[in-house]
Parts: sequence; C-alpha cells; structure tokens
Amino acid sequence: MKTTWKDIAPVPTSQEFLDIVLSRTQRRLPTQIRAGFQISRIRAFYIRKVKYTSETFGEKLGAILEGFPRLADIHPFHKDLLNTLYDADHFRIALGQLNTAKGLIETVARDYVRLLKYGQSLYQCKQLKRAALGRMATICKRLKDPLVYLEQVRQHLGRLPSIDPNTRTLLICGYPNVGKSSFLKNVSRADVDVQPYAFTTKSLFVGHFDYKMLRFQAIDTPGILDHPLEEMNTIEMQSITAIAHLRSAIMYFMDLSEQCGYSVQAQMALFESIKPLFANKLVFIVINKIDVTRPEDLDAETQEQLQNLAKSGNIEILQLSCATAEGLMNVRNAVCDRLLAERNAQKLKAGTNASGEVTGRLGDVLRRIHVAQPMGGVVREAFIPEGVKGRVKYDKEDPNRRKLMRDIEEENGGAGVFNINLRDNYLLENDEWKNDRIPEVLDGKNVYDYIDPDIEAKLAALEEEEARLEAEGHYEEEEDLEDAEEEDIRFRAELIREKRQLIRNENKMRKSLKNRAVIPRSKKAVQLEKLEAGLEKAGYDTTALAARARSVSRPSRSRGRTPGEGEGEDAMDVDQTPAARLSRSLSVARARSASTNRRDDGVTDVAARSKADRMAKLGQKKMNRMARQGEADRHQTASLPKWLVAGKRTMGTTRSR
Amino acid sequence: MAVRAAFENSNEVGVFATLTNSYALVSVGASENFYSVFEAELQDVIPICHTTIAGTRIIGRLTAGNRKGLLVPTSTTDQELQHLRNSIPDEVKIQRIEERLSALGNVICANDHVALVHPDLERETEEIIADVLGVEVFRQTIADNVLTGSYMALSNQGGIVHPKTSIQDQDELSSLLQVPLVAGSVNRGSPVVGAGMVVNDWMAVTGLDTTATELSVVESVFKLGEGMGPSAINTTNKDTMVESFY
Repeated sequence: MKTTWKDIAPVPTSQEFLDIVLSRTQRRLPTQIRAGFQISRIRAFYIRKVKYTSETFGEKLGAILEGFPRLADIHPFHKDLLNTLYDADHFRIALGQLNTAKGLIETVARDYVRLLKYGQSLYQCKQLKRAALGRMATICKRLKDPLVYLEQVRQHLGRLPSIDPNTRTLLICGYPNVGKSSFLKNVSRADVDVQPYAFTTKSLFVGHFDYKMLRFQAIDTPGILDHPLEEMNTIEMQSITAIAHLRSAIMYFMDLSEQCGYSVQAQMALFESIKPLFANKLVFIVINKIDVTRPEDLDAETQEQLQNLAKSGNIEILQLSCATAEGLMNVRNAVCDRLLAERNAQKLKAGTNASGEVTGRLGDVLRRIHVAQPMGGVVREAFIPEGVKGRVKYDKEDPNRRKLMRDIEEENGGAGVFNINLRDNYLLENDEWKNDRIPEVLDGKNVYDYIDPDIEAKLAALEEEEARLEAEGHYEEEEDLEDAEEEDIRFRAELIREKRQLIRNENKMRKSLKNRAVIPRSKKAVQLEKLEAGLEKAGYDTTALAARARSVSRPSRSRGRTPGEGEGEDAMDVDQTPAARLSRSLSVARARSASTNRRDDGVTDVAARSKADRMAKLGQKKMNRMARQGEADRHQTASLPKWLVAGKRTMGTTRSR
Repeated sequence: MAVRAAFENSNEVGVFATLTNSYALVSVGASENFYSVFEAELQDVIPICHTTIAGTRIIGRLTAGNRKGLLVPTSTTDQELQHLRNSIPDEVKIQRIEERLSALGNVICANDHVALVHPDLERETEEIIADVLGVEVFRQTIADNVLTGSYMALSNQGGIVHPKTSIQDQDELSSLLQVPLVAGSVNRGSPVVGAGMVVNDWMAVTGLDTTATELSVVESVFKLGEGMGPSAINTTNKDTMVESFY
C-alpha cells in the first residue's frame, strides 16, 4: 500500500495550463493553410486543430486526476489525515471540477467539429476554430482556484512523513510540552525540534530505530488539549487521527512535575476522555521528567488516582527522564517487547484454523523457526585454528589495523591500475622459487603431464595391476553378477522386441506396392453387388442402375435387332449395311480426329501459299485502318467526344479548356 | 563472525568463493575489495588463494572442498591446478575429477565429516569424494532439490537448508549429519543458501542484501557469535523471526 505521495507531477496554474495546451497544438500540428485549398482539406485542417486541443486538455486533466490519491483507495489513516489537513470535501470538489471541465471541453470540441463539417470557406472554418478554442480556454480559466489548491495540496502531501500504518509502531501522545518530542529525539535519529513551549510540534513526526533486529517507527504527535473533538484544531486532530487508526503501542506521556503548565488532574482527565480511542491497543502511561518529580513524591490521593487509572484498563506505568536518560531504554524496550508479543499472538491466532492447526504462510514461517537437533549424540568436532581465538576484530577506522590487499591496491593506483601477483602467497620450500617460470610445453610435450618425477613408474605399476586383474578375471565376475531374475527379464524383452519387429515387417509387406501401379480408387472395378448395397444403404433406388449395368455387360436376348454372331453375316464382309454402320457409330465413341492446319487447307504448293497470304493481308487492310478489333467489329464512335463539348460554361469559353 | 560482502555487485558470495577450515579460494575480480573481506578475517590464519577455474570466476560453484581436500572439475587447466597446489597447504589433497556434473560446488555439500551429494553422481566420483575429503558420502536431496551444494550451507557446527524444507526432512538430515539444522534464507529471501554464502567453523560471509534477521540465524546456527547457540532461533529470537518473516 502506498504510504507516500512524493511523485505527483506539479499542477500548473490555469494560465500555464492554457499556454501548455495551446502551444502544444501550435507545435504539433501543421500551420500552413491557403484559401485555394479544397474545402474538404480546409475543414479537415481545422477539425484536427479543435480535436487535438480538446484531446490535450483531456490528457493533461486526466493526468492530474490520476496523480492524486483517491480517498477511497488509501488506508483509513491516510484518508483521515488528508481530511484533517486539506478537508476531504474541498479536495473532492476540486478534483470533481477538473473532471467536469474535462467533460465540458470534450462536449465543446464535439459541437464545433460538427459545425466545422459545414464550414463553407477558410474564413468561416477559422472563426469556428477560434470560437471552439476560446470556449475551451474559458472553461480552463474557471479552474483557476481548484488548480491552485491542488498544487498546494501536492506540495504539502509530498512533505508528509512516510508512515506505514501496519508496521511496528510506537505512538507518543499527551498534553503539550510533556516531553514527547524529546523522547523521540532520544530513541531515534529523528531531528525533532524541542522547545520549552507548548505546540512546538505542529504535525506528525516519524523516527525509526532498531530493536531486536527489527525496524520500529516511533510517531511523535502534536499535543492534545482536553476538549471535545469538534473543538479540536487541525494540529490536534492529526494526533487523534494517528491514535485512532494506527495499529500501534500508545505511550501516553505525563508530566507529574506540572512544568508543562497542566495539572496532573488535567492530564489524567485527558487520558480518560481519549480512552475510547485506545480500544484494542496496547497502552502505556509513561511518566516523564522523573528527575524532577517521581510518582512517589505526589500526595497520596493523586497517587491513588494514578494507580486506579492504570488498574482500570490494565495499563502499565513506566517511568523515564529524557533529561537524564534515566529509564529511557528500559521504557523503549519494555514497550517494544510488549508490542512484539502482542503482534505475534495476533499473527499466530490469525494463522491457525479452528482446530488449532497452523496453516498457510505461518506454517512456512514456523518451519523456518524450527531447529532440527541431531539425535544420536555423535559430536562433530569443530576445527578452529588457534590463531582465530583472541583475534582482534578488524576495524576499518583503527589506525593500527591489519594491512589488506585493498590498502595495497589503493597505494598502487587503485582498481584497474594495480595488478596483483598471484605467486606472492605460494607456499614453497624456498621463497626464491616463487617467481620461477615453468615452461608449459617442452619437446612437444605438456610439462604438467610429467610434473610428477615418478609418473612413468606409477603408470607402469597401474598397467601391470590392470593386466593382472584382467588375467585373474576380476572384471569378468562383474558380468555374472546378474541374477536369474534380470536374465529372465532380458529374455522376455528380447522376445517382445522380436515379435514387434515381425509385426512391423508384416505391415510393411501388406502396404508396399510390390511393383504394381497405383490405381486411383475411382478407376478401380467395383462389384455390382457392393455398389448396390452401398447405394441402398444410402437410400437410393438401384433398379435402374442394375438394369443399365446388366445391359452393357451382357447382351440381351430379347432384342432382335442387335447384331450378333451367327446371324448370317460374314465376319469378313467389308461392306456393311447402313443399319450396321449406324449401330456401330452409335456404340463406339468418336475418337478425336487428327487435327489439321486450317491455313494449309486447300493450298497445294508454295506459290499458292504466298498468294493466299497476300490476299489475307489485303482483306485486313480496311479493318486495320478503321482500328477494328476484328472483322466483326461494327462499333460506331461518336463524331464529337463529350469531353470536348460538355462542361460548365459560366466563365470563359469552351475553347479555353 | 558473520560478515556481509558483495562480489562486483553480486550477492552470490558462494558462487565466487570457497571457504573451508584450512584454506579459502577467492575469485579474481576487478578489484581487491572482495578478497580483502576474507583477508581481514583470515589473514595469517589460513591461506587465501586467488584463482580461476577453467578460466571462469564462478569458482565456488565449480569446486568443492573441506579441511582435508579440494575437488576441482575436469575443465580445470593444468596451470590452475599447479597454482592451487602451490597456494594450498600440502596436507590438503587436490583432485581433479572427471564427472559429467562438472559444477561440483552445486552437487557436493561437505563438512569435515560428511558429504551430501547429488543422487546422479557417478560411483567413481563418490569414491573419490570419500577418499579425498575423508568423509562419509550420502546421496541426498534437499526439499526435493537434487543440487545439494546449492541449497545447503554446512559447517561442522551447523547447517542451513532451503527455506521450504519440511520439518521432517530437516530432522532426518540433521540426524544424518549430526549437526543442528535450520531452514533459512540469505540475501533477503534467496533460497539458494549454498550459493548465497560461504561458511566455515568460525566465520561466514553472506551477500550484502542479507537482512539482520537472516544474519542472526546464520550466526546462531553456525555458532559464530559469542554465546549464541542454534537454540536461540526458536527461543529468544522467536518473536523477531515471526515478526520479520510473516
């Protein structure tokens, strides 16, 4: 959740705003326009101007609206704080005005764009644009006050301390001048102004400190006077907001010495009256200035009242003196410890379900807190060299500190200049050997392969051992280690593999072409029964089909006219009867006749050929002259083309075009 | 003592250094700042060696070692091996291993007594680890991660494992190693504790981003601070732990 609003962009004044928008329109859009341009172009030019200006207004206003926090989206504490400091209604109205202006500008743009569509001339369009931009500027000028207000809010908001409402918080409150700020100054590094008069602190101050490796925030609030909430001023209301909304440990400061100018009775009365705000919170009464007056120094009656006050709400009374720092840290630690315990209890409660089991993320955390201790009691001895014990801790500020490589590096020109000698720390028998050079390759051999003087002997020994082991059958035994079960598995696996290969081969055989042609399905012979069955299944009547198929495949006995063998005709007879010829020409499909070149039809020799060509050319002559497409082209064009004779003739003459 | 350091703006200290009880390896960087962090604590106690492995700076991930030995991957050059041999005491055995999983720092997590290794390590490598480092070797996973070296930081006094390790796993591992274990993180929540820090029996170096709470866990479980035992984590510091992690 956002706790600071330092990144809101500055809000310009209305005049600046206007300048920004108009100059952007001027810079980003074309500026050249002439009366001679087409009217549609002139209209488009001005429409674009108007639209762009309104878009820029919308964009800029939108950015301002986006930048400010929405009161509904932020933590109630910040919401109330904003309400106290800037008046939420005023804030909301200012943003609302901006939003309204945005809408109005859009409406203006829409209206004028509509008008511009009917602009008749450059002058008219320009006047419409001027009017549109003028109206937008007027709307913008009316935003003067909200813009100024928002800029002030922005500046103040950016300077508010970053208060995290959910973290570990100590809240310091009490009457003015009881030592709240000096406590904060003492426990944290916050630079709070401490002065001996009331209302030195006029707003919330935040200081941070570390306790038990955790970051705590301590919030110093302005002093509160004991009067009803409605009469409280802005300064006091900030305290009340913080007390009411922050999940914190509240430290109510009291000054028994009455140096602050308020009686002990008054301070106790204030505590009683703001008590309702302390519900569900850790509360401590902190007695400050005990170097002047301790509780024991009070009269019995006041002491009694004080004790009753503490007892009634189970509130702890702590004592400290900011002047002498007596009890200061004790108070801080006591409060922090209680706060931590309280927060932990709440978390554990929230992380466990009804049956007491830890769930979700808390489970992960508890897993990390668990320390697994070994069972078994073997002691793993640590190995810590003697030199470590009693070693002085290295301190960067110590003038007699150990000299490190970093110091040497600094002395020699710093990183990038200084080059370390890696050989400096070699542990050799003789220090003079450190910088000796060893060749990497000698006689074509890698020196490091022979760095061991006994390498040859060792290799020979190894090889000998290897040979011996092999001879003894040391390695073969490994093979026999497979037990019967594994062998069985292997055998079965082999069988399975073989079977699979057989199946694969069979399929391959079935699918292969085996030197046959690929015949498309449509050309394959189909049995009549199959065809009939298929069609009948699909719901077709097949009687006609069957009859036709039969008549073609088998000669019908019933038809007498059908020529057949053994009807008295000689098979060798060349001359056919006309009927036979006709039947034959009907039954046999006509094959495609041999094509002939029609240009050569009826041309006997070369001379005739050239003559025919010449005649053909002559025949085309007229056609070509009249620009005909072919001999069938009968198109008659108009004697006078329309583009020459038609047109507006208001100015000038026909000839002038 | 636990200190924070960064190697050239990287928090992963365990990637660029190896720390054992008898020597330390530090990568060669652009400046000596990282080296000097080790030097400040270890100067004149144990040798610290600037080195590269196979020409790279990720020496912490490529090497694995303890007080008795150092294992380097097969990609280590002859010159680097000689340099290591010259810089590290003679009692420490150095062995170059031919192993497919060549990032030995990621797959081996060892103290001076026990080593937890990647389950897929070769059997020969396992034997070499046992011989060179003088340890018992166990094939283990940590919170279902096979990279034992990355997800565990181990010394003779304690160990940190991946933050999501279940309590049962922690107890089992602890009984195996015979040191107290805790699930934790370093470098502001990084689960790669092995790569994020280096530790030996008296010193730990973690990344610069490590939070105070994480550092206190490290100091407690490795017994690095004065009078701080591992039990401090779930007794005196319990509140802080819950508060900062939840």
